[in-house]
Amino acid sequence: MSNDLEIRELQASIGDKPILKGVNLTVRGGSIHAIMGPNGSGKSTLANIVAGHPSYVVTGGEILYQGQNILELDADERSKLGLFLAFQYPVSVPGVSVANFLRTALNAHRAQEGQDPKKTSIPVAEFRKQLREGMKSLEMDEGFARRYLNEGFSGGEKKRLEILQMTLLKPTMAIMDETDSGLDIDALRIVAEGVNRLAGPNMGALVITHYQRLLTYIKPQFVSVMMEGRIVRDGGPELALELEEKGYDWLREELAEAA
Amino acid sequence: MNSLTLKDLTADSVVATSHQLGEPAWLGERRRDAWELFAKSGPPEWRRSDLSGLVPDDLATFTSPGITLEWDQALAAQGVVFKPLQEALASHEALIQRYMDTGVAPLEHKFSAMRAALWRDGVLLYVPKGVAVESPLRVRYSLPDGVSATFPRTLVIVEANASVTLVEEFSSNDQPVSALAAPISELFAGPGSQLRFVSVQHWGAGVYHLGAQKLVLENDASAEWTSIALGGKLQHLDAETTLKGNGSSVNWLGATFANGTQQLLTAPWLRHVGHNAESFMQFKTVVNDTGYSVFDGMIKIEHESAATSTRLEEHALHLSPNARNDSIPGLKINTNSVLKGGHASTSGDVDDEQLFYMQARGISRADAKRMIVMGFFSPALDSIPLAGLREELESIIEQKI
Repeated sequence: MSNDLEIRELQASIGDKPILKGVNLTVRGGSIHAIMGPNGSGKSTLANIVAGHPSYVVTGGEILYQGQNILELDADERSKLGLFLAFQYPVSVPGVSVANFLRTALNAHRAQEGQDPKKTSIPVAEFRKQLREGMKSLEMDEGFARRYLNEGFSGGEKKRLEILQMTLLKPTMAIMDETDSGLDIDALRIVAEGVNRLAGPNMGALVITHYQRLLTYIKPQFVSVMMEGRIVRDGGPELALELEEKGYDWLREELAEAA
Repeated sequence: MNSLTLKDLTADSVVATSHQLGEPAWLGERRRDAWELFAKSGPPEWRRSDLSGLVPDDLATFTSPGITLEWDQALAAQGVVFKPLQEALASHEALIQRYMDTGVAPLEHKFSAMRAALWRDGVLLYVPKGVAVESPLRVRYSLPDGVSATFPRTLVIVEANASVTLVEEFSSNDQPVSALAAPISELFAGPGSQLRFVSVQHWGAGVYHLGAQKLVLENDASAEWTSIALGGKLQHLDAETTLKGNGSSVNWLGATFANGTQQLLTAPWLRHVGHNAESFMQFKTVVNDTGYSVFDGMIKIEHESAATSTRLEEHALHLSPNARNDSIPGLKINTNSVLKGGHASTSGDVDDEQLFYMQARGISRADAKRMIVMGFFSPALDSIPLAGLREELESIIEQKI
């Protein structure tokens, strides 16, 4: 079963305001595909809609993953298929510890219909081991697990926790929404290494970024550009470099001329 | 013990019962005074507590509550006293006479008089000077089958520089007809002492909990108070901390969950009298179905106080559109010398962004909601020193979501 993510003519609004105006994008399973675009182009909206955010209204098109239209599915069902969204602004949930949250998420993924959850739940020792190893790989202090989810976390800590979740849940397609925003060079390195460890035949990655900087660490095979709610150009890694050099206006002019 | 109903009682019969129980004469007289006020008073004006389902005259068979005491008996060797109050009247009469009724005023209104007249048993906790008690002590009050009214009384005296943790618990089976529980809790924290008090009300259905609690802090005494209200049909709880001593402090956490047709009212008051006293109160309320909760919190900074630091917060979470929470925080300041004083009140539904974040990790909406509610109550739940009790309460909370 292919892990391709196919987005076809996707249209979506928030309230009355149309944001996605016919997005066409194919992310091949196991590949690293970057989406770049100016602010307001709809990149984050696209990421949130693929993950199943309830506030957006899909007014047309479809999203296929592993051959099925996932628009019918709730966010938790999509997650269990293997989709993962690394949030740009992870929300905090007071009173819920990181450890408790991770274990609950893992058990939700391990649960099988008709089976006793006690049988499918991850054993405590196994969980502790995975958690410890994951935190170590992301240079996170062990005390982190006891803290409340994202509460009082710095930007770097929040983003590393997103990658820790990815490490434990092992998705087959990860959507990274401006993962580099607000990160200093050291945090960026740690986060990128975490993604690169996972990305490969077992995990495709849709990397959404405004700047080219992240893409020197996480090297994409494909680059698409989004503007005003549509994908306007597809290319390879050299497209990212060209945008870096010439800016988005260059592309706007080219598209205007072609029209 | 008595199969009389309330309407069968008179001042004389109340005193006679006291005498029969071997209570000292001064107590019999206090009961008489209280009874006389009760008999001639109309009900207090409690606009937000609907007592129409409770007919005091028909309440029968009020007797001692079930009382279970759990503690490390070896503490007795250090002079710690933890015994049923009725027994303690014989062994610690002078101590009780000195402190009882100086916390919760007995003649304030009809129900305070009723409690003062009819209280039957409870617990005395006494900790001598300088004794630091590590393990928590626990008193569990229950409503025996067939008993429709109970009036337990908790009296805690912590001497200078001593420290102790007391868990006071009210629980029962569901009641087939309306039952009344009217407890009094008085706690006195001596100079330099530390007191942690966790009071948990999780009565079964049908119980009217009309309680009064008062904590008095002497110089440099510090307290941590956790108030949890989950059970019963209706609660009206008047609770107060008086920061009487200079340098005294209290950290007061609350957790209330009203679901079904419950009406749970808590009126926690902070009264600042001493200098340089600090108080912080944070109450969390969850309401579901057509549950109704009232937070009637108050900070009163008296004229004789100085350099007060105080803050009161209430946060409410609504799980259904027909549930209701009235939040009435108040601040009465009678002095110019306040370092910090303020209150805040928030109210909202379960945050969609939090739900989405958790669902985006595979957690079902129902499980996410449950985790958010538990997390909401975590300050109060974290403060419970008994793991078994915490789990029990978490499971009760889950049922109510």
